[in-house]
Amino acid sequence: MFFKNYRTIIFVGVIFAATLILLSYNLKYDSSTSFAKKIVLEAAAPVQKILKASIEGVGNAWMRYIHLVGLEADNRILKNKIAALQTELILYKEGYLEAQRLQKILSLQNDYHHSGIAARVIGREQAALSKTFWINKGSAHGLKSGMPVIVPPGLIGRLTDVSWHSSKVLLLIDENSNVDALIQRTRVQGIVRGAGSRGCMVRYISKIQDVKEGDVVMTSGMSNIFPKGLLIGTVSQVDHKDVGLFLKIRVTPFVDFSTLEEVLILAADQKEVPSEKKTIK
Amino acid sequence: MIYYLLLPFMAIGLVVFQTTLADILFSGWLTLELSLVVVIYAGFRLDLVQGIILACIMGFVFDCVSGSILGLFTMVYLLIYMFSFFVSLRIASEKFYLIALFSLICSVLESLILIALYHFVFEFDMLSNALVVFVPQALLISVLSVGFFYMMHKIEGLMYGKTMRPPQRTGTGGISAAA
Repeated sequence: MFFKNYRTIIFVGVIFAATLILLSYNLKYDSSTSFAKKIVLEAAAPVQKILKASIEGVGNAWMRYIHLVGLEADNRILKNKIAALQTELILYKEGYLEAQRLQKILSLQNDYHHSGIAARVIGREQAALSKTFWINKGSAHGLKSGMPVIVPPGLIGRLTDVSWHSSKVLLLIDENSNVDALIQRTRVQGIVRGAGSRGCMVRYISKIQDVKEGDVVMTSGMSNIFPKGLLIGTVSQVDHKDVGLFLKIRVTPFVDFSTLEEVLILAADQKEVPSEKKTIK
Repeated sequence: MIYYLLLPFMAIGLVVFQTTLADILFSGWLTLELSLVVVIYAGFRLDLVQGIILACIMGFVFDCVSGSILGLFTMVYLLIYMFSFFVSLRIASEKFYLIALFSLICSVLESLILIALYHFVFEFDMLSNALVVFVPQALLISVLSVGFFYMMHKIEGLMYGKTMRPPQRTGTGGISAAA
């Protein structure tokens, strides 16, 4: 009867006593490997594994979302950076190509043993009757009218109008251009005259002379304007059937005039100066 | 019977969940003691036998998972459950500010028991951690308890149509020996 009436109080008391005994026992003796604890930990491990994976998955998804928020700004910055780097790359590439061209011009100057003045092409005049272009050097830089203008591998024309800081170059293909020339193989001399878009023509070579397609044409050095040995072009067509005393010889210049950017002007008055004293202005 | 069978597994799930979440959110700085909130809630809702068993199992599982002295949190949860149980007999209303205040008191009580035990048994002074750890934890538990009570109130409303308040919680302070 007593136990029935006070069973709840007895139950509470027993539980408290058991808890106190458990606590006291564990305070006195280390029971970190007790059986009950092992069971709980064994049951908790898979739950913890699943929960940790789930929560970390959510956390990672959130972090990826945060990452995506900043991605647009990063993308914009990187695109700007790429554009800037591409611009820089183009500049470097341009500088490299220019250096290569200048190196060729310099080597050409050494070949002809003349002092040279390098200049940049600043304008073109490609009218039907006039084939000229402008360069950015003039009398202030030592240029004079009549000086030969070359680029690798040979002659392209001569200066006609020289102002203080710019000059006009009359190209070989201009119909007003006449250059004393010779055929390299046979040493036959003639005059190379411009023929516009068709290139050049060699005039005043007799029909009895031996001229073939592919023969190299170069300056003869007979005038005081062009030094001997400057390459002009190759014979592309020889017409023996034309009426008259002379052959009709067509010459294709070595140089593509449409791609010129830098040229070298040979200073004729320093022709005899030893190579070690030559200067490039 | 099903309650007693499921209780250990539910306790393990809850304790592991709160430990994992606290580890991620606070990096071990605070403990997200949802188990304490459940014990307080049990003090207001369950009868004495069910509540005592819940407190014991919850405390024991917490002892095992947290690595503390076996029986420490079992004892603490049991005391807090009894405290909640007897307070619930006196309080007829379950206003949320009262729940928050009571949970705060329970959390402070828990902290005081821990500080006292460590001081007297191990001669280790945990008082210096009071402002850094125990006060934020008490505030966190009071906030969590309000949320938990609100959620359970809604669930009870959905399931039973009313709050499942045991008949002995009349607010008059009476409890029979055979409760």
